[in-house]
Amino acid sequence: MSGEALRALSETALALAAAVFVTSLLLLLLGYDPVSSLAVMFTYGLGNVEYVAAVAAPLVLSALAFLIPLRAGLFNIGGEGQAYLGALSFLYFSQQFGALGLLAGGLMGALLGGTLGALRAFLGVNEVIASIMTNWTLYYVTLFLVSRHLTHPEFPHRSIDVGFFLGSWTSFLLALALALLALVLLYNTLLGYEIRVLGSSRRAAAYAGIDVRRVTVLSMSIGGLFGGTAGALKVMYVGHLDTTMSALFGVGFLGIGVALIGKSHPIGAVLSAAFLASMIIGGHWVELRLGTPPELTDVIVGVMVLVLSAPYALKLLQRGGRLG
Amino acid sequence: MVPLVSMKGITKVYADGTVALRGVTFELAEGEVHALLGENGAGKTTLMRILYGELRPTAGEIFVRGQSVAFRSPQEAMRRGIAMVHQNFSLVPSFTVADNLYLAVTSVKPMRRGEVEGRARELGARLGIEVPLEARVEQLSAGMKQRAEILKSLLLDAKIIILDEPTSLLTPLEARALLGLIKELKAQQVSFVYVTHKLREVKEVADRVTVLRKGANVGTFQVSEVSEAEMAKLMVGAEVERVRRSRSGAPGEVLLEVEDLAARDDMGVERLKGVTLSVRRGEVVGIAGVQGSGQKELAEILAGLRRPERGKVRLGGVDVTGRSPREMRRAGVLYSPESREEGLALEMSLVENSVLARQGEHASGVTMNWKSAEERARQIVERFRVVFTDLWERARNLSGGNQQRLMVGRELESEGLLLIAHEPTQGLDVVSAEKVRGEILRFRERGAVLLISSDLDEVLELSDRIVVLFEGRVVGELKGGESDLERLAKLMGGAL
Repeated sequence: MSGEALRALSETALALAAAVFVTSLLLLLLGYDPVSSLAVMFTYGLGNVEYVAAVAAPLVLSALAFLIPLRAGLFNIGGEGQAYLGALSFLYFSQQFGALGLLAGGLMGALLGGTLGALRAFLGVNEVIASIMTNWTLYYVTLFLVSRHLTHPEFPHRSIDVGFFLGSWTSFLLALALALLALVLLYNTLLGYEIRVLGSSRRAAAYAGIDVRRVTVLSMSIGGLFGGTAGALKVMYVGHLDTTMSALFGVGFLGIGVALIGKSHPIGAVLSAAFLASMIIGGHWVELRLGTPPELTDVIVGVMVLVLSAPYALKLLQRGGRLG
Repeated sequence: MVPLVSMKGITKVYADGTVALRGVTFELAEGEVHALLGENGAGKTTLMRILYGELRPTAGEIFVRGQSVAFRSPQEAMRRGIAMVHQNFSLVPSFTVADNLYLAVTSVKPMRRGEVEGRARELGARLGIEVPLEARVEQLSAGMKQRAEILKSLLLDAKIIILDEPTSLLTPLEARALLGLIKELKAQQVSFVYVTHKLREVKEVADRVTVLRKGANVGTFQVSEVSEAEMAKLMVGAEVERVRRSRSGAPGEVLLEVEDLAARDDMGVERLKGVTLSVRRGEVVGIAGVQGSGQKELAEILAGLRRPERGKVRLGGVDVTGRSPREMRRAGVLYSPESREEGLALEMSLVENSVLARQGEHASGVTMNWKSAEERARQIVERFRVVFTDLWERARNLSGGNQQRLMVGRELESEGLLLIAHEPTQGLDVVSAEKVRGEILRFRERGAVLLISSDLDEVLELSDRIVVLFEGRVVGELKGGESDLERLAKLMGGAL
C-alpha cells in the first residue's frame, strides 16, 4: 500500500475514533449509556444489508451532485432543491411513463443545476446563495403540490403513490453504475479533465483555453442530474411524499457530508454512503432499543458527518478549495 | 576569537524523508558579510530558517557568541539579535509601514507605538533608510518593502541579519542601493548572512562565502581568494557550460507585428499606452523594463488572455487581435507565463500538466488518451531533466525549479511559431537555466522568440534586439550583443 493511502486510512480511523468519543460524551451528557447505544448503532445498522443498500443509493447520488461541481471549484449546495424537483418529477411522470420517470427526475435536476451554473457563469451570481434560495423555494413548492395537486384521494396529508418501483439492490446498483460513470467522466474524458483543471486553478483554466462558462454550466448540470436522480430514488423507495417532508428532507444536505467523507472521489462517496446509511439505520435501532428520541439520532449522525469530514474539509479550505 | 554564530553538524530531515542538510558547519564572524551560495534546493534557506528558529534541526548544535542555543521560535532568535528578511517578505500588505513595525517590535518586547515610530524615524534618518512610514505596504515597490524589513530588523536590535535572495524582486537600481545599505550597516557592526545563487553579488558584497551543494558544505573561502568560475564549479559540482550564442543570420520575414497596443491591467490601471514593435522570423527579441512597465499585459494579449483597448496584433500578416487563447495557440503562439500558478494546474499530475493547453490533441473524441499524454510527459521530463518520483504525482509536490522546467519544457516541446517566454529561467539553478537558454536560442530555427525577463544578463545574452519598455511605452531599442548593462538600466529607469 502506498504511503498516501496508508495515511488516508489512518486519518479516517482517527476521525472515526474522535467521532465515537464526541458522540459518547454527548450521550453521557444527556444521560444515555454510550456503550450500549453505540454497540447497537454499529451492529444493528449492518443487520439488514439490503436495507443499507436502499438507504445508501440516494446518498451516493446526492454526494455526486455535490462532488462533480466541487471538482470544478463550485459549491453546489443546491442538491437538496434538485432532489425535491427530481422527486416531484418522478412522482408525476412515473404515473404515465414508469421507469422513464427516473430520467425525468434526473433531467429536471440537471435543468435546475444548469440554471444555477448559468447564473454564475453569465451573471456572476454566487451559486451558494442562489442554491440556498432555490432550496427553500422548492421546499414549499413541493409541500404545496403534495397537499394540493398530487394529493392522495384518501389520505390528504400525503401524495399519490409512485407509478414505478425498483428493488433495493437494483436501486443501489443503479447508483453504483452512476458513480462509476462519474469516475470515468472525471478521469477519462476531456470534459472531466477540463472540470479538474478549472477546480485546480481558474487562471490555469483560462491559460489552457478552457471555456470556463461552458464548464461551469456543464458541471452544475451534471451535479443537478445526480441530485434530481437522488430525489427520484428516495421517493421511489418510500413510495410517496408527505406533508412532513420527512422522507426527503436532508437527502441533498447529507450528500455534502458523504462527498466530503469520501474525499470528493466517486468511489469514496459509495463507501461513505454505505457507512452513513448503516449509521442512520443503527440510529433508528437505538431509538427502538434504548428509547432515545429520534432527534438524538440525527444529532449523532450529524456529529459523525462533521467529525469524519472535518480533516478533508479543513484541507480543502486551506487550499482555497483547489482540487486536482 | 569566538565567532558570532557557529552552527555545527546541522542535519535536517523533513517529515517526508527528504534530507535537506547533511551535517553542515557554518560560521559567521562579527561584522562580516557572509554569503551563502548554492543552487535551488541546496539547503541554503533551510539552514537559515534553522538559525532563525523557524525550523528545528534533526541533529547538530548552534552557538551564538559561544553560548549553546536551541530556538523554538523566531521570537526567541530575535531576542538574541537575529533577524531574517524572507525572499517574499513577511509584512502585512494592508497595514502601513508603521503598523508593521509596531506589530513586529511588540511581538518581541513591549513598546509604545509613538516610541516605535520615533525610533524608526531616528534610525532611518541616521542610516539613510528612506521608507514612508504612513504608506500602506501594498503600495510600496519591492525595494521599499525590503528597506522596511531591514528597518524592522534594526528596530529589533538585530546584530545579525539574514537576507534570503534579497535582490530577486528588485530592479537593478534598487539592488545597487541595497548593496550600498549593507556596506553602510556593516560599518555599524551589523553582520549579514547573504543567501544567494548569484555569483556576481557574492563578489560585490561579501567578505567570505560558504558554498552549499545538495545539503552539504563544500567549502568556505575568503571572497577575494576565489574566482567566480571556481565558485560556480563548486556550486554545481561541474563546469558550467555557457551558452555560446551565435548571432542569427539575416532575420527572415516579419512574423509578429504589434501596432499601437494599449491595455489596462485587472485593476483598471493603464499599463500599455501604445506599443509598437515587430519580431522577425529567426529572431529573439528581448523585452526589458522594470516590473509593471506593461510587459505582463503585452504577453497576455499575445497569448489571447487579455483584450487590448486599442491597437492591432498581426501574426504572419493575419490580424489576430482579440482572439481567444485557443485560437492564438492554433495560430502558433506558445506561452510560458511568469507565474507557475497560471501555467500549471498544480493540484494535478505531471502527466496532466504535460498536456495543459493542448488537451484536445490528446483526446480521441470525448475520452482522454492518457497513453499519449504519458508519452509526452516522459519526453518533457527527460529532455528538461525534471526530477520527480512518479509521473502521476501532483505538480505541487515538485520543487519550484522542477515546476518551472516542466512548464517551460512543455512549451518548448510543442509545435509553434512564436514563443513568448516570460521569466523562463526564474527559480532555476545555473545548469538548468543554461539548458533552457540554449533551447530558447534553438527555437529561433523554428520561428521567433519574445523574451521577457528581469534578468538583464539573460536578456543581453540571448536577444538579437532589445526593446525597452517604460511606463507602458517603448523608450528605446538596442542591439543585443553590443549593449551594456549600464545603458540598459538607465533606459529602464526612464532616463533617455
